[in-house]
Amino acid sequence: MPLGPLTGGLGIIQPIGGIFDNGTPDPGDQTISLPGLGANVEVIIDHLGIPHIYAATAKDAFMALGYMHAKDRLFQITMQTFVAAGRISEIVGAYAASSDRFYRTIGLARSAQETLDWLIANADSNPDVAASLEALDAEVDGINAFIHSLTSATLPIEFKILKYTPQEWSAVDLLTGAKMLGWGLSGGVYDFQRQWIRATVDNDTMYNDLFPDLMPYTVPIVQDQVNLSIAEYPLAPGGFPATENPGELMRPTIADEVVIAQDKLELLISTIDNVIKPLGDEMHIGSNNWAVNGSRSSTGMPILAGDPHLTLQAPSVWYEAHIVVPGVDGLDVTGTTFPGLPAVLIGHNDHLAYSFTNVGADVLDIFVEQLNPSNSSEYMYNGTYHAFVVHDESIYTREGNIIPFFVKESVHGPLIDSAEESYDSDEESEANLAMTWTGSGVTHELIAAGKFMKADNLTQFIDGMYWWDSPPQNCVYGDDSGNIAMLVVGRFPVRSGYTGEYPVTSLNDSVGMVSNIPYAYNPREINPARGFVQSANQRTIAPSQYGYTILGPQDNGYRGRRIFYLLQNDSSVTVADMKRFQADVVEVRAEVILPYLISAWDDAGNSNTTIADAVDLLRSWEYDMEPELEAPTIWLYLLDAIHYETFDELRTLDPLLPLSRTPILEKLITENNSYYFDDHTTTGTTETRDDVLVRSLFTALDKLAREWADEPDYKYGNRHIVYIEHLAGLTYIGGGPHRGGNTLNVAPGWTVTHGPSTRLVADLSNIGMSYMAYPGGQSGNMFSPHWDDNFNLWYAFDPVTKYYGYHILYFYATAAAFRTADTDDTLIERTIIFAP
Amino acid sequence: MPSLGFLPALIITIVFGIVFQLTGDWKMMLIAGALGALFVRRIRKAFLVGFLGVGIAWGLLFVYLVLTAQAMDVANFFIALLGLEGLGAVVIIISVLIGALLGGFGGILGRALYELIDEIISSRRGEAAQSSAAASKSPEGPSKE
Repeated sequence: MPLGPLTGGLGIIQPIGGIFDNGTPDPGDQTISLPGLGANVEVIIDHLGIPHIYAATAKDAFMALGYMHAKDRLFQITMQTFVAAGRISEIVGAYAASSDRFYRTIGLARSAQETLDWLIANADSNPDVAASLEALDAEVDGINAFIHSLTSATLPIEFKILKYTPQEWSAVDLLTGAKMLGWGLSGGVYDFQRQWIRATVDNDTMYNDLFPDLMPYTVPIVQDQVNLSIAEYPLAPGGFPATENPGELMRPTIADEVVIAQDKLELLISTIDNVIKPLGDEMHIGSNNWAVNGSRSSTGMPILAGDPHLTLQAPSVWYEAHIVVPGVDGLDVTGTTFPGLPAVLIGHNDHLAYSFTNVGADVLDIFVEQLNPSNSSEYMYNGTYHAFVVHDESIYTREGNIIPFFVKESVHGPLIDSAEESYDSDEESEANLAMTWTGSGVTHELIAAGKFMKADNLTQFIDGMYWWDSPPQNCVYGDDSGNIAMLVVGRFPVRSGYTGEYPVTSLNDSVGMVSNIPYAYNPREINPARGFVQSANQRTIAPSQYGYTILGPQDNGYRGRRIFYLLQNDSSVTVADMKRFQADVVEVRAEVILPYLISAWDDAGNSNTTIADAVDLLRSWEYDMEPELEAPTIWLYLLDAIHYETFDELRTLDPLLPLSRTPILEKLITENNSYYFDDHTTTGTTETRDDVLVRSLFTALDKLAREWADEPDYKYGNRHIVYIEHLAGLTYIGGGPHRGGNTLNVAPGWTVTHGPSTRLVADLSNIGMSYMAYPGGQSGNMFSPHWDDNFNLWYAFDPVTKYYGYHILYFYATAAAFRTADTDDTLIERTIIFAP
Repeated sequence: MPSLGFLPALIITIVFGIVFQLTGDWKMMLIAGALGALFVRRIRKAFLVGFLGVGIAWGLLFVYLVLTAQAMDVANFFIALLGLEGLGAVVIIISVLIGALLGGFGGILGRALYELIDEIISSRRGEAAQSSAAASKSPEGPSKE
C-alpha cells in the first residue's frame, strides 16, 4: 500500500517522539509487568530473537506470547486484521474502500464473531473449548498489555508515518485474522472462472479435453487409505453432520447451471483478483511436506520435512516461538506461530512433529438466487419468498467519512456481487450471487491446534484433528514411537443436485452442500508399506479409490512426482538428504518434455546455428534451475512457446483464455495427439507434434532475444531474483539471484514473491536437534538486527552440502537447562521476566 | 525576570529544550524558546536565544540518537521514501533547522508577550499613580509620568 512519507505530519521529524528513536536497540534483561498473570513467566530470547517462554500455566504462556507477538509484529497484526475485517480504510484512507467492500461482503469478521459466540457458549460443557477460549483471551490480554506500554521508541515506525494510534484488541479481532488465513488457503472462487472458460470455449469435447478436473500423471497423496472407526467418529470434522452413504443423498444433477452474463463474470473475476491478498494468490499457494519412517531413514526413526508456501512478505507471515508449560497436561512445543494466534502451526513438540500443505479443493460454491421480480430484497426458497438478511457494513475512512455499504445474505450465504460498484450488464442490476464457503460461520481449527500441540501420540493427535474443519489441509505427522502419517484434515462437503463446478440455482434443501464426509473416512495414510508419505497440493486420492467426491482443481502434481521419486529411490534417508530435497531445483516438466523436443529438432535437420546452440545447451542440461546457467531461461521461454503454439484453438477464441495446464500439454505430447497439434489457423497444412515443437524453438528464441537484448547473457539469475516486499511497500529484503522455479524449492515467476515461507526438518530420533529457517526475521522493526537475520540463513545456499541454511530449534525443557547449555554466551541474547 | 547575559539565557534554553523534547511534543519547543526569552531584552536576542538554544538542544539529541539508536539509518530510510538515496544527514540537518525555527519563533512570541504584559502592568501602575497623585494635589497643575 502506498504511504506518503509525511502523512504523519511534521511531528515525525522530532528527535524524540518522531521516527528517529525507532532504531533504539532492545534493552538488555528486563522485567515487565503483565497484570493478570498467575505467576512469573521467564522468556529467554535467543540469538535470533526467538522467544522461549517458560510459564507455569498455559494461560500465562499465551499472555506472554501475545505480548511478544505485539512487541515484534504489531504493525503486521494490525494490517492483516484490518484488511480481513474490511477496516483498512480507517488506517490508510478511502482509496482502499474497494478492498474493504470485498472483505465485508464475504464477512470474515461476522464469521469470527459467530465462532467466538460458539466458543463462549460451549466453554462450560467442553474443556477443550474452554482451553481454546482461555488461550485466545490470554493472547488478547498480552497484546493489549503491550499496547498500553507503548513508548515512542517501541511504537512501530509505520504507525508514526501513518499517524495512527493502535487501539485495544478483542478476541474477535484475533479470530478475524484466523479467518483470513483460512480464506487465503481455501477461499478460491473457481465457479466463475470455470463458467467463463467453458462459455468462451463453447465446445464440450474440447473443454473436457483441455480443462479436466483431474490432472493426468498425478501421483495422489493418499494411496493406502486408512479409515477410523465410524462408531467412534460418526460426524464430520468440527462436529458437522456427515453421511456414510453419499450416493443416497446425491441426487442426479437437477439444478440447472445458471449462465451469468460474460461481462458480469469478467467483472466479478477481476474484482476478486484485484483485492488485496495478504497471504498471496490461491493459484500460487502450495506447499510441500513429507516424512520417512524408520524403514527408510538412516536413524531408524522417522524424519519429517515441511515447507509451506505463501507470499513472501516482510515481516514474515510466521513468528517462531517455543512454549513450555510443565506438568501432565502441559505443553512443550516449538515452531512457527501465526502472529495474533495462540498456536504453533508448523513445528514439533516433545514427541511428534507436524507440518501442513494446502489441499486446494473447491469448497466454495456460488448459488444464483431468484429474486422476487416485484421486490429485489426477497428471493425464492422452499416455495416462498424470503427476505435477505441485510448487514450494515458501513465503511469508516481515515478522512472521517462514512461510506454506506450493505451486504445481503440468503440462506446460502452472503451475496458476493454486493462488492461491485456497478456493472454494465442491463439485466440483473441487483446482487443475487450467494457464496457458500466451508470457512464461513463457526469453525473450530483453534480447538484442534490447542489439542494437537499437547498430543503425545498418534491417537491423541488424530483425536485433536477431529476439530480441524477449515481450511482443508494435508497434515504430515511423525513421532518418536516410529509412526508416520499423512492426515487429510478438514471438512469436505457432500453436494446434492449439482457438482459444485458452476453457479447454479438452489430453490430448496435438496440442492446444496447437504452433508459432509465423516471424519472417520477423511483420506489418510498411517504407516504405509512404502515407508514414506508425501504431499505437494496434488490430487488427494484417486477418485476411483474413494467413495466421495473431492472437487479440484488441485496442483499440477510435478512436485508430488519429484518427492515421490526422490523418496522411493533413497533407502537410507538422512537429515542432510531431507535438507537437500527441500533445496531441490530439478524441473520435472523439462525432464518429461525436453527429450521429445530435442529429438524433434534432431529429426528436422534444420541448420539454424543459434537454435542448434540452444538445443545443445538443453541437451546437456540436467534440468536444474540454477541461476548461473542459461538453460533454465531458455526452457521457460520454450515452455511458454510450446503452450502458445499448441493451443492455437484456445488463443484464437479469446486472448484472455488461460492456455491449458502443463500436465495436459504433457499428455498431448506423450500421446502425440494429432488433433491439437495441428494448427487450425493454417488451413491446407496439417502440423505434427514435431513441427509444433520445432516451431516453438524459433518462437521462444526470438522472444528471448528481444526481451533480453540488454542483458549480457541468458543466465537465469540475471532476472530470477527473490524480492520480499515490506507490507506497506516501504522497503524490501533480498533482491539477489534465486535458485529454483516450478521445482521443490518453489520460486515461481521471474521476480519471486512466493516461496517457502518456512522450512522445517524434524529428526524424531533426536527431537531437540530439529531445524528451521524462514525468509525474514522475528522483528517487524526494519532497524532491528532481527529484521532479516533468519532470511540470511534461509537464502544461503551451500554448494558443497547442497542445502540452505537452518538454525537449530533450541528445545530445552527448562530455562535453567538452556542457560547451562549456553556455555559461550552465544545462544541467548537476553531474558524478559514477566511479572503479574 | 532579570536580564542575564546572552550566554546564560542560551544555556537555559538548551536545558529546557532537551528536557521538554523528552515529552515527545514538538510544540513544547515554542515554550522552551519563550522561557529563554525571559532572560534577554531585545527581540533580536530573543530570536537568537530560541533559535540557537533549541537548535543545539536538538543537535545534541540527534548526536545521542545517531550514536546509540541508528538514527542515521532511520534518516537514510526516510529520505529514500522521498526518492533520494544516502542523504540521511540532510534529513537530520533539516530537522534541527525546523526545531531551531520553532525555538526562535517561540522566543519572539515570548518576548513580545512579556513586553505586552509589561506595558499593561506599567500603564495600570501609571494610571493608579496618576490618579493617586491627582487625588493628593489641586485639580490644576501639571501631571507627572
